[in-house]
Amino acid sequence: MSEIILATRNVGKTFGGFVALKDISIEFERGKLTAIIGPNGAGKSTYFNILSGAFPPTTGQLLFQGRDISALPQHKFANYGIAKSFQITNVFPKLSAFENVRVAVQARKVGLNPWRNRDGYAEVNRRAHELLALVGLEARADRTAQDMAHGEQRALEIAMALAAEPVLLLLDEPTAGMSPEETRVMMDLIQRLSRDRTIILVEHKMKLVMGICERIIVLHHGELLADGTPDEVRTNAEVKRVYLGQGRH
Amino acid sequence: MTTNTAASLIAFGKRHRAALAIGFLLIFPWLMPYEALAVNILVLGLYAVGFNLLFGYTGLLSFGHAAFLGSGAYGCGIALVHFGVPWFASILIGVLVSVFFAAIMGFLAIRTRGIYFAMVTLALSQCVYYLFYQAVNLTGGENGLRGINLSEIGILGFSVNFLNPTTKYYVILAFVAFALWLFSRLLASPFGAVLEAIRENESRARACGYDVARVKFIAFVISGAFCGLAGALKALHLSIVPIETLHYLTSGQVVMMALLGGMNTFFGPFVGAAAFLLLEDVLTTMTSHWQLVLGAVFVIFVLFFPKGIWGSALAWMVRK
Amino acid sequence: MSGLTLELLLLQIVTGVALGSVFVLLAIGLSLIFGMLTIVNFAHGAFYMVGAYMGVFLYGLTKNFWICLVLVPLAVGTIGLVVERFLVRPLYGRNIDDPLLLTFGLGYVFIESIRILFGLNGIPFSTPAGLRGAVDIGIGYFPLYRLFLIGATGMLVLGLWLFIEKTKFGLIIRAGARDPEILKVLGIDVSKIWLLVFGIGTGIAGLSGILAAPLQAVTPEMGIPVLAEAFVVTVVGGMGSLIGAVTAGLMVGIVVAMTSLFMPEMAKVSIFLLMALVLLVRPQGLFGRAGLMG
Repeated sequence: MSEIILATRNVGKTFGGFVALKDISIEFERGKLTAIIGPNGAGKSTYFNILSGAFPPTTGQLLFQGRDISALPQHKFANYGIAKSFQITNVFPKLSAFENVRVAVQARKVGLNPWRNRDGYAEVNRRAHELLALVGLEARADRTAQDMAHGEQRALEIAMALAAEPVLLLLDEPTAGMSPEETRVMMDLIQRLSRDRTIILVEHKMKLVMGICERIIVLHHGELLADGTPDEVRTNAEVKRVYLGQGRH
Repeated sequence: MTTNTAASLIAFGKRHRAALAIGFLLIFPWLMPYEALAVNILVLGLYAVGFNLLFGYTGLLSFGHAAFLGSGAYGCGIALVHFGVPWFASILIGVLVSVFFAAIMGFLAIRTRGIYFAMVTLALSQCVYYLFYQAVNLTGGENGLRGINLSEIGILGFSVNFLNPTTKYYVILAFVAFALWLFSRLLASPFGAVLEAIRENESRARACGYDVARVKFIAFVISGAFCGLAGALKALHLSIVPIETLHYLTSGQVVMMALLGGMNTFFGPFVGAAAFLLLEDVLTTMTSHWQLVLGAVFVIFVLFFPKGIWGSALAWMVRK
Repeated sequence: MSGLTLELLLLQIVTGVALGSVFVLLAIGLSLIFGMLTIVNFAHGAFYMVGAYMGVFLYGLTKNFWICLVLVPLAVGTIGLVVERFLVRPLYGRNIDDPLLLTFGLGYVFIESIRILFGLNGIPFSTPAGLRGAVDIGIGYFPLYRLFLIGATGMLVLGLWLFIEKTKFGLIIRAGARDPEILKVLGIDVSKIWLLVFGIGTGIAGLSGILAAPLQAVTPEMGIPVLAEAFVVTVVGGMGSLIGAVTAGLMVGIVVAMTSLFMPEMAKVSIFLLMALVLLVRPQGLFGRAGLMG
C-alpha cells in the first residue's frame, strides 16, 4: 500500500440540528485519482468542503500526511500544498486569464512585495504561461475571464489551482453545467493531470468517473456506502439500489 | 482612431500614468481660474487617490476617511503651532498620526464584511471627530485649529516664500508628485495585484493562499497614510484646520469625488476632485443651495455613469 | 460626586431609556430595510429630518399632534416608496455598494430641499398640549413627553413584532429575509415586497423624526449626527434583527445618559467605544447572524 496523503478520521458535520455527515473515515493514497460520488444530498459537497478547509468538521479529524489540520485557516491550506477548484465558477472576473493565473502563481513565489513591478518576475510569468498552456488556454491569455466560455473558465480555475504546485488537487464537480463537448475536454484534462498528481474529485454523474478513476467512494445520506475500484462499485448491490432508486445517471 | 492604436495608447498611458499625471499637474495652475483653487484640487485630489486605493482597487467602501485627512491635518498643524516643529517634520508627524488612527480603525473595521464596513468606518471616524472636538486645548475644538502661519520655508538651504500662491502650488506638488509616483509603483507591484484579486473575488484570493485580512489591513493603513499626507498639506495650504475636516460628510465628499471621476482608474479620483471643486466654485457664485445640484449630480452618476467621468472617457476611447 | 442619590441615578436611567427609544425607532427602520433588501439606507437620517419637518408643516395645518403622528409616517413612507421604485430599484443586481452611494447623494438633495422650503434656521417644535409638564414616577418628577415616547416606542415595537410574527405578510418578510429565492419559488412578486418594506422602513424613520422633534430644535442638519448613531445601534445589535435593534437602542441610550452624568466630556465618544468593544468581541453584533454578511 502506498503512502497516505490525506485522511479523515471519524469526521462528522452538523449544521444547526441537521446532520450532514456522520463518522466518515477514509484514507487517500498519493498518486491516485479518486472520485467521491453520491446522489443529491449525499453529503459530497460537505465532505469536499471539509477536505479543502472551507469549514472545519464538527467532530473527528482531518489529517494531511499524518498531521491534524482540522482547525487550520483556509488560506494556510494552499501553503500545505492542497489546492481546490470550486463547484461554482470561481475566478477573478475582470482580470485577464493571464493575470488570474499570475496572481495565483505569485502567492507561492513572490507574496506581497509592494515595491517591484509585477511584470519583472520572469519566473512567475513563465510559470503562468506554462499553466495556461497545460490547460489549453494559451491562446486566451489576454481574454478577460468573464468574457470566456464556461468550460474555459473552469479550465482557468484548474490552472489557478495548479499554480500552488499542489501535491493534492481537489476538484468539486469539475464538469457541472458543461456541454458534452466541454465535458469531454475537461475529462481529458483531468486524466492528463492525474498522471503526475494526486487528485480527489467530487462528481454527481457516476458514469463520467467510471472510465478514468482508480478508486470510487460512494456517499449516501451522509454516510460511507461503498469504497473500491470502479468495477467493485459498479457491481455493489447497495450502490445499485441507491442509484437505481434515484433514476439513472 | 483604430482600436489598435487606441489600445496601445491606453497601454502607454497606463505604463507611464504617474509621469503623465505629474506632467499634467505641472501645467495645471494655468488652466485654473485662480491658484488657490488649483492647490485645493491638488490636495483633495491626493485625498481622493489615497481613498481610492481602498475603494477602487481593493473594493472596500470606507465612509471614514475624513479621520485620516483630518488627523493628518491636525497632527501637522498641532506640531507646528503648539510645538514649533519645522514644517517638513510636521508633515511627517501628520502622516504618522493618520497612520496611527488608520491602524486602530482598520483593525476594527476589517473584522466586519460587506456593507457593514461602510457603517463601521463611518461610526469609528465620528468617534475620532468627537475626540478632537473635545481636546480643545490642542485642537481648538469647535473653532478649529488656527495659527498655522507658514510664510518662509527653508528648502535645501534656500528660503522660499510660501505665501506666493504659485510657489506654494509647486512646493505642495512636489509632495503630491512623490505620492503619486509611489502610489503608481504600489499598484503595479505584486501587492497591487493581490488588492485587485481581493476586490474581484475575496474567497478565491483566500484559496490562492493570501491572508486576505492582513492584506486588507495593510491597504487600509497605506490608504490612511496617503490621506494623512493630503491632510497635512491641506493644513499648510489653508493655515487652519476646521473641525469639519474630520466630519463624516468629508468622508462622503471623497466617496463622491472618486465616483464622479472614476473609481477604477488611477487618475479618475483626481479628475473627480477637480470636477467637484470646480462645480462648487461655479455654483456657489450662483446659488447658496449648490449642494442640491451636487446631490442630484451624484445620484445621476450612480444611476447612469458608475464609471465616472474619466472612466467613461477611457471606455469611450477604447470603443472608438 | 456630591448630590448623587439613587433617585437621580434611576431618573438618569429612565432618561436613557427615553433617549434610547428614538435610537430604537431609527435602528428598526434601518434594520428592516437591510434585513430584506440588503441595502444600507444612508438617507435614513434625512428621512428622519424630513419626518420632523413634515410634522412642523402638518401641525401648522391641523393643529393636532395625534393626526400628525399618523400622517407623517404615511407621507414620509410615500416618499420612500417613490425613492425605491424609481431610484433604488434600477440598482438591484449591480454592485452592492451602489444603493448605499445613491441614498447618500439623496440625503444631500433632501437636506438642501428642506433648506429651500423652510430656511436655514431651526424651527422649535413645542411639546404638544396634554403631554407637557412632568409627572411623579415614584423616584422623582419626569417629563411626561419622554414617558410618552417610551410608551409609543414600546407599542410600535410590539405592533411590528406582531406584524412580522403573526401575519401572512410578516411570514413572507421573514422567509424573504433568509432567502429571496424562496419567494420566487412561492410565486410571490419580490419587487412588491421590497417596495413595501422600503416604504415601511422610511415611514418609521419619519415617525421617529416627528417623535424626536419636541426634544430638540428642528433643523435641516438634525439627521446628520443621527445617521452615525443609528449605525452604531445597528452594528451593536446586529443587522436585520428586531430584538437586536431594541436591545442595542436602549443600551446606547442608557450609556449616553450615564456618561453624561459621570463623564460629560465622554458622552459623545462613549457609544462609539461601546461599538468598538462589540466589534472586538462579537463582530456580527449581539443578535446578528455570523453568516449574514457573507
